[in-house]
Amino acid sequence: MRRRRVDPAAGARAGSLPEAIAALSRSLPSGPSPEIFRRAKFDRPEATSALWQLLFRVLSPLPAGNALASIALEVQARLVKSALCSQGYPRLALAQLPEDGSKGSRELLLALSWLLARGPVLEQMLAQTRVPLGDEMTVCQCEALASLGPPAPHMEAEGPVDVRHMQWLMGKLRFRWRQLVSSQQEQCALLSKIHLYTRGCHSDQNLGHLSVTEAEMLRDPEGGQKVSGAGAAQNLDLAYPKGLHFSCTPGMGPRTFWNDLWLVPRLLPGDWAAPLDPGGASACSLLSPLRVLLRTLEHESRRLEAVLAWWRAEPVFWQWMVRKPTHPSPGIPSRSGPQDTVLGTCAPEAPAAASQPTFLPWVPECGDGELELVVRELQTLEEELREAVERRRVAWEAKARGCGRGPEWSAARRASRETVEKELGALQRCWEQDSGPAPAHGPHRLVRREDGATGDRDLRAAELIRTLRSQEACLEAVLRQLQGQCRQELAGLTGALPGLIWIPPPGR
Amino acid sequence: MLPADCSRRLVAELQGALDACAHRQLQLEQSLRVCRRLLQAWEPTGTWACEPPPEPETNEEDPLPACTPSPQDLKELEFLTQALEKAVRVRRGITKAGERNKAPSLKSRSIVTSPGTTASTRPQSPGQAGGHASDRRPTKGLRQTTVPAKGRPERRLPSVRDRTRAGIGARAPRPGAGLRNQHMAPSAAPQAPEAFTLKEKGHLLRLPAAFRKAASQNSSLWAQLSSMQTSDSMDAAAAKTQFLRNIQTASGGSQPRLSAAEVEAEARRLRKACSLLRLRVREELSAAPMDWMQEYRCLLTLEGLQTMVGQCLQRLQELRAAVVERPPLPCPVGRPPRASPSCGGGAEPTWSPQLLVYSSTQELQTLAALKLRVAVLDQQIHLQKVLLEEEMGVQQRSAALRRTG
Repeated sequence: MRRRRVDPAAGARAGSLPEAIAALSRSLPSGPSPEIFRRAKFDRPEATSALWQLLFRVLSPLPAGNALASIALEVQARLVKSALCSQGYPRLALAQLPEDGSKGSRELLLALSWLLARGPVLEQMLAQTRVPLGDEMTVCQCEALASLGPPAPHMEAEGPVDVRHMQWLMGKLRFRWRQLVSSQQEQCALLSKIHLYTRGCHSDQNLGHLSVTEAEMLRDPEGGQKVSGAGAAQNLDLAYPKGLHFSCTPGMGPRTFWNDLWLVPRLLPGDWAAPLDPGGASACSLLSPLRVLLRTLEHESRRLEAVLAWWRAEPVFWQWMVRKPTHPSPGIPSRSGPQDTVLGTCAPEAPAAASQPTFLPWVPECGDGELELVVRELQTLEEELREAVERRRVAWEAKARGCGRGPEWSAARRASRETVEKELGALQRCWEQDSGPAPAHGPHRLVRREDGATGDRDLRAAELIRTLRSQEACLEAVLRQLQGQCRQELAGLTGALPGLIWIPPPGR
Repeated sequence: MLPADCSRRLVAELQGALDACAHRQLQLEQSLRVCRRLLQAWEPTGTWACEPPPEPETNEEDPLPACTPSPQDLKELEFLTQALEKAVRVRRGITKAGERNKAPSLKSRSIVTSPGTTASTRPQSPGQAGGHASDRRPTKGLRQTTVPAKGRPERRLPSVRDRTRAGIGARAPRPGAGLRNQHMAPSAAPQAPEAFTLKEKGHLLRLPAAFRKAASQNSSLWAQLSSMQTSDSMDAAAAKTQFLRNIQTASGGSQPRLSAAEVEAEARRLRKACSLLRLRVREELSAAPMDWMQEYRCLLTLEGLQTMVGQCLQRLQELRAAVVERPPLPCPVGRPPRASPSCGGGAEPTWSPQLLVYSSTQELQTLAALKLRVAVLDQQIHLQKVLLEEEMGVQQRSAALRRTG
């Protein structure tokens, strides 16, 4: 990462702290006013609930939605605590704060700063709510065919489940996969045609043609001809509420802006007076979709500017949090002493108990079952190796005794040892190191070009196809191996449980 | 049949997979509807002429894209103006009784300006005549007659501009809505508008100026953001690390606790280690050594692999100890999305919009099909893993039963 030296004098400018905080609050979605930050420094109780809500917005894996806004403060506070804990937040004082928002604003301010220091929080939130003007396709497999929440326990299956029911479900699933394939092929063909026909239209030469969103805007700027109308809004209501979070659609086809229009009111501040519920579809038709699109673009641009301003003013903020300011500034009381820093005012905590566990309620895939599988496999491997090594060692010793000793003998042995060590070291590095260049991630705008010319930051479909093919092969190997394991286990089961009849599992 | 409780989990997972597919299918169908509609003939709708009152900020003065009317257009314009005047005369007779307040102002304005059209700045306001009370049909008529010459959306832009200038409200045409039908007869313009298809005229479309401006501003800001992102300021970075260290020491712990993401990354690394080790062990065990040197090396390798397996196991046990068994909080907003194992994971998402370039329909279809295939394989693997876990659970339970029984 290239690093640019910032003028050191800039950080010492006293007046830029209020600017920094103002930029921060502008760049946060529905951000609290700068006054809240100031109050939080003095641990005023009125700033607490605003900060709980802000932390909730920042930490929640989902973008803003009406569902999120209606959650009670206590629940939000609890979720924030658990999320911070799962991220490894060290301060225990936060976990002990009351959840009704009566005190603790300074702790919350510390937590927010900790998050800001650790990762690109603002930029990630911007990326989450980016307005997709083009036809997007995600390049990675994140959230492809994501499940819609924890699998709901099936209430009907009270007794043992008939395996035929499972086979039927499996068959249904296979049918749905086939349906998806054919729908998607059609979608791609249509998309390609639209791109082809609107060649030469776009003002941006780089893009060259219109996207579905843009074409739709030209065709029907008033939105008077919405096909599904309220129906679309309701269907999306069932779905994973993601707002304009484009990476939810595993970019296999475009999400049109218009279908998600009903979710826009949740992101726009101020002038939406209409109630935010499935009747939101009607609220949207009060303003033309063109106007809505312009508004959201405008809104996003303002936030982008705020983030850029924040970056420029950031050093001052960190000084405020950590070091004593060298001279009094208008925004900060002129008392001198270590109390001036936000961190300094918080009481230091006793060393955490040695066995303080990290509880991970929001842990994505690291379920205990997952680790269990790996442990089992390694244990079997260990057994196998132990046996083989013992056998071979004995055989070798017997042979070596008969071969005699000599200087070249020991030299040869040493050479072998070194080679083996080097090989095994290389093997270990294979999994220790992170995969080299970070694979492309996130959504990309689809652009059709006959010559296939690409800029330096653009991806080519052909390369992606190659990567996907190798991924496919890899996954197929994993699947086959798992199926083999399942069959083995099953053989063990049928042996152990007498009278068990099993029809081969449908997982093909 | 598997015992009830474990098969319930499998059924629940299957149901989850079915729901995810259904959800995806729904999204695809919505997109398909929109795309199909775009490729069909674009119907002229009343809303085309019914732009809402433009706000001051959209009232820009940037020039219209290549919109100088030809002499033929001007002739048609005159023809249209005459038709309008006739229509207005007819309407005046009809709406004498009980007309609304707006209508007179509209009428007077239309009378005042329509003669003015012929004299006024013609290149700038070809659609001026179309901007008034009985605007819808004439606007369309204008469009119809010029459709052979130019694309329809281009005409629409001037009519927007003119309405801006005339400052007529969008709701104004409504009083005239009922009257409109009566003018269809006197209007000389043909009734059936010519259809506009993307195939024929797609390349003539132009985006509205306001949109272009907003989009270009937006994309330049994003570009700025991504360029600044790679050049962090040293001061800020140093201050951040200082702050983090201070928090760590103030909390009394010297070692930062593992976050969930780190645990997952470690688990992934160990999974990868496991598969690599397994492969290597197979290789070594199946290799037939030719001479004592090879045999020695094989032995050493196997011993080395044994140590590595032991280390991995130990690391795994530590990891498991760190993950406390605790029922997940009832999260009202649903579980966060499952990061697919085939994704790199932890890769920094770049937030500037990037392009994915394809060159033919076939390529796009192949790409999408492969993506879907990988997603489906992920689903299958997940289900298979669940099945395996359940089977192992059953085996453990039956073994426990046998021991006690």
